[in-house]
Amino acid sequence: MELVDKIIKGERAAIAKAITLVESSKDTDQQISRQLISELIKKPGKSIRVGFSGPPGVGKSTFIESFGSYLVSQNYKLGILAIDPSSQITGGSILGDKTRMVEISKNPNTFIRSTPSRGTLGGISMGTREASIILDAAGYDFIFIETVGVGQSEIVASNLVDIFTLIVGPGSGDELQGIKKGITEYADIFIVNKNDGELKMEASKTAADYKSALSYYKKLDELEKQVLLVSAIEQTGMEDVIKTINQIIDQNKLKGIFDERRADQLEYWIEEEVKNIIASDITNRLTSKGNIPKYSEKVMKNEMSMYEAVETITKDTLEQ
Amino acid sequence: MTNKSNNGFNTWQKSFEKETKKNFSDAKSETDEGIDIKPVYTRDDLENFSFVENNSLPGQWPYTRGPKASMYTNRPWTIRQYAGFSTAEESNEFYKKNLESGQKGLSVAFDLPTHRGYDSDDDLVMGDVGKAGVAIDTVEDMKILFNNIPLDQMSVSMTMNGAVLPVLASFIVAGEEQGVDKSLLSGTIQNDILKEFMVRNTYIYPPEPSMKIVADIIEFTSKEMPKFNSISISGYHMQEAGADNVLELAYTLADGMEYVRAAMSKGLDVDDFAPRLSFFFAIGTDFFMEIAKLRAARTLWAKIMKNFGAKNERSLILRTHCQTSGVSLTEKDPYNNIIRTSYEALSAILGGTQSLHTNSFDEAIALPTDESARIARNTQLILQNETGVTKTVDPLAGSYFVENLTEELSKKAWDIITEIEELGGMTKAVKAGIPKLKIEESATKKQAKVDSGSRVVVGVNKYKNPKEPSVDVRVIDNNRVRDDQIKKIQAIKKSRDTKAVEKALANLTNAAKDETNLLVPCIEAIKLRATVGEVSKALEQVYGRHFAKSLSVSGVYGKHFEGDKEFMKVESKIKEFENINGRRPRVLVVKMGQDGHDRGAKIVATSFADMGFDVDMGPLFQSPKDVAKDAIENDVHAIGVSTLAAGHKTLVPELMKGLKEIDPKSKIIVFVGGIIPEQDYEFLYENNVSAIFGPGSNIIESAEKVIDLISDNLSKE
Ligand code: B12
Ligand SMILES: Nc1nc2c(ncn2[C@@H]2O[C@H](COP(=O)(O)OP(=O)(O)OP(=O)(O)O)[C@@H](O)[C@H]2O)c(=O)[nH]1
Ligand SMILES: [Mg+2]
Repeated sequence: MELVDKIIKGERAAIAKAITLVESSKDTDQQISRQLISELIKKPGKSIRVGFSGPPGVGKSTFIESFGSYLVSQNYKLGILAIDPSSQITGGSILGDKTRMVEISKNPNTFIRSTPSRGTLGGISMGTREASIILDAAGYDFIFIETVGVGQSEIVASNLVDIFTLIVGPGSGDELQGIKKGITEYADIFIVNKNDGELKMEASKTAADYKSALSYYKKLDELEKQVLLVSAIEQTGMEDVIKTINQIIDQNKLKGIFDERRADQLEYWIEEEVKNIIASDITNRLTSKGNIPKYSEKVMKNEMSMYEAVETITKDTLEQ
Repeated sequence: MTNKSNNGFNTWQKSFEKETKKNFSDAKSETDEGIDIKPVYTRDDLENFSFVENNSLPGQWPYTRGPKASMYTNRPWTIRQYAGFSTAEESNEFYKKNLESGQKGLSVAFDLPTHRGYDSDDDLVMGDVGKAGVAIDTVEDMKILFNNIPLDQMSVSMTMNGAVLPVLASFIVAGEEQGVDKSLLSGTIQNDILKEFMVRNTYIYPPEPSMKIVADIIEFTSKEMPKFNSISISGYHMQEAGADNVLELAYTLADGMEYVRAAMSKGLDVDDFAPRLSFFFAIGTDFFMEIAKLRAARTLWAKIMKNFGAKNERSLILRTHCQTSGVSLTEKDPYNNIIRTSYEALSAILGGTQSLHTNSFDEAIALPTDESARIARNTQLILQNETGVTKTVDPLAGSYFVENLTEELSKKAWDIITEIEELGGMTKAVKAGIPKLKIEESATKKQAKVDSGSRVVVGVNKYKNPKEPSVDVRVIDNNRVRDDQIKKIQAIKKSRDTKAVEKALANLTNAAKDETNLLVPCIEAIKLRATVGEVSKALEQVYGRHFAKSLSVSGVYGKHFEGDKEFMKVESKIKEFENINGRRPRVLVVKMGQDGHDRGAKIVATSFADMGFDVDMGPLFQSPKDVAKDAIENDVHAIGVSTLAAGHKTLVPELMKGLKEIDPKSKIIVFVGGIIPEQDYEFLYENNVSAIFGPGSNIIESAEKVIDLISDNLSKE
């Protein structure tokens, strides 16, 4: 495929077009997209994929601008996938991430793509995983994925990356209740942002709260989870972040966790794809046969029970 | 006995209901501010006031009726026209001609590079030099600007906020080298940074150091320049950006309070500086509302300053400059603008302004020509000399309606001020972006009213002129201006004592690290011929440059069009597009160069999103190259360039070049919106611009054209 060569050469427009393909809801695009991804997977790059999640307005984009500038100044190539939560259900969306990533977006060693989340589960959009495969093949050293942390999203997002980071704000200790067990399993690093000005005290206190809560939930064989203090605005704490990321990656590689995770993610991906195909197939059959309205009417009229209807429809739908 | 219980009123009400076939209680019209205007007001409406005092007199507490006892009966308001373009030489000629023709005070409009602290030779400002104001790089330019204008006699107002330090320093040094001591200089420096972060967008440093600079200037002028207004606290730009009158009033006064606190934090006594605080309001088309606003502003400010413990009466008095509204003026059928401006001017006068700028009829086309500027000036000369409005002070006092409106506005504004104060003041609110968002919401509502036709704009959405007149425009050759400026900079850099300049700049950088008043080392550097850009950079080393984070409203435009046919047509075109193409049409809306007019871009972006487009919003001040990178990485279908400060002929071709450089086969199409004189259309089309949307464009119609052009373009593949 011509597109594959162009991506591997790092041609900006080709990468962008490829991401459009993997995000497209059009069948023909999806077919090409599958071919493309199959080819690209054979030529993996060396990227480390890092997820940044956290509540709205905590400073994820500003942090990425700040941390990203630091990495680029160290000559790393950086790909950023920003999943923008601003989309409305009916309307389109305003993608404003670039107004927060002014400096790095100018740098020739970055590639920044915003995608409207369209309310999909976990704020991860269709195609995010594929997009990171494209950027990997294109030779980016780091791929950052920015998602808004609400509900289930962390879990979905953490399934796409090698290292998962939760960004929180000063005073978010109250939310500790909410993060409890679940998230501590998924997040590798906790970053307390806005450690500056009047917020400094509060930020340190929050970091301490996280540390003690995390040690409480720590499993025996697990590494100590890292809690870092940064200020995205004043660009402080950035070296610690990269040091910690590198440490965790090195350790995980050494212990085989790195590959294990990628294998798990592949499994998860395959499972998901299979489920998707089956689900859409079933949906198609359901609509074409028109059984749902037919049988629900029967239930309404008391001609059969709800469960009888479910059973009959299921049987009929699964029949080839 | 009150009127309502009086038979006369009952009879009137019956007649009214018979004539209109409406219940009196339903016969109200709501203003943008959410005030219900009744069809008639009576003496009852003068009761239960908590702000307005019914029997007050001009020049007396609470100063509702004017800052002075005699007002225009003694001396009419100052005709002060805001102007500046191209080089100092050309602006100086223009000023002198205007002064000969009856203008009384000067008001300098600087170009955008100067505002943002860049020298004319900086690569970042290629398209902007001399375009939307006069270029000032060094004190030599400032001296030329006031050549043969004696600064001890002429009051000079300077709209400068971001680069306020080097520009005020240049003014002081220019005066000194003219032989005028700084203590004799009279005039005003705008020096109002909070509204820059909200709406005007010519900030340089982050909010905190910027506030420190404001306070430095207030401190210095209060001690050294007794005839000079240290600040012009401005609501004008807020209304122009879309704020209704309550928002304008409340935010302006809340800004004022913040400046008072900043100055007091320097150890100044409130009465040391408060008499030299001045204000600036816009006067739009809502005739009585604008009059009431000026009266309410004075009333509230007196109360605010009393709360600050002011003892000197002059500290309590709000003095203001006003400008008629530019945004009420149209590109279509432009002579209508002379009429609009006349009514607005009358409003400002009846409201008791101290000085006034009236806009030219070519406002929505380009900077004024000599001819259009003459008519604008004459609007005021005719008011002063022919109408008799100067003969009585505050002639509308006692009007049931106007007094009631004054009270209503005061109340509403006071509520907002109280809210802001409870949140910790305006600096905090501005940093959080709340006021900006509120203003954008208000602007979006206004646009929706015009686009839906529920608000009539003559010549735009009704009573269109079938034969649009073509008008002359002022053309500025920015490349020539830039070359001239660069030559001057080079000559100065050759002749000055470089070592001494470097030392002065280093001093300045050091001073920024502590609490030193920065104007003093600035004056030193400027005297030695440091440039405006060098001084700004010396401070930037410590403070950094500020990048605004932009938030967006959503759903405000769409809500106005629920069930609207045209709107739904575009929505369904977008759905169809998505079905065919696997994604929604995606448009990148951008501002390039130093142009900070973001009202149009923000409104278009939010409205397009409401219709179903995916809209990428670029930051302010992007270079064409950066825009090209953004557009290609996000694989947008189209770029919408919003350009109002006349940089389009430089910036658009650069953008086209940038796109081809990254992707020679790029199929991204480019639209241009904003202030584009008709004379430039052909040039833009020749540069492959797909469509141009000028002022007054209906956004739904524009959106339909955009989606059609995108679809056409895709089908060509
Ligand atoms: C409002 C305004 C301001 C406000 C801006 C507030 C803000 N945040 O935007 C304030 C008061 C702050 C301001 C300041 C200045 N202004 Co001013 N301003 C205007 C004014 C009166 C109206 C512009 C406006 O907002 N209109 C309303 C919006 C909704 O309309 P619009 O932007 O034109 O957008 C419509 C269409 O053009 C189109 N459109 C626009 N973009 C796009 C994009 C796409 C994709 C599409 C489809 C359509 C589209 O659709 C929109 C809806 O109809 C114009 C004159 C005028 N009447 O147009 C002068 C004007 C633009 N300003 C001017 C100047 C010089 C300045 C200053 C530089 C003055 C100075 N020297 O200090 C400053 C600096 C501002 C800066 N940082 O750049 C000049 C520019 C001269 C020129 N081009 O030759 C003008 C033309 C006035 C004049 N004749 O002198 N200004
Ligand atoms: N004081 C302080 N404020 C910060 C810092 N980082 C971000 N902010 C502010 O927090 C606000 C939100 O920042 P963003 O970067 O847009 O946050 P986000 O998490 O990406 O937001 P969404 O993408 O909308 O979820 C902005 O006003 C920033 O200026 C920081 O380090 N210190
Ligand atoms: Mg973000």
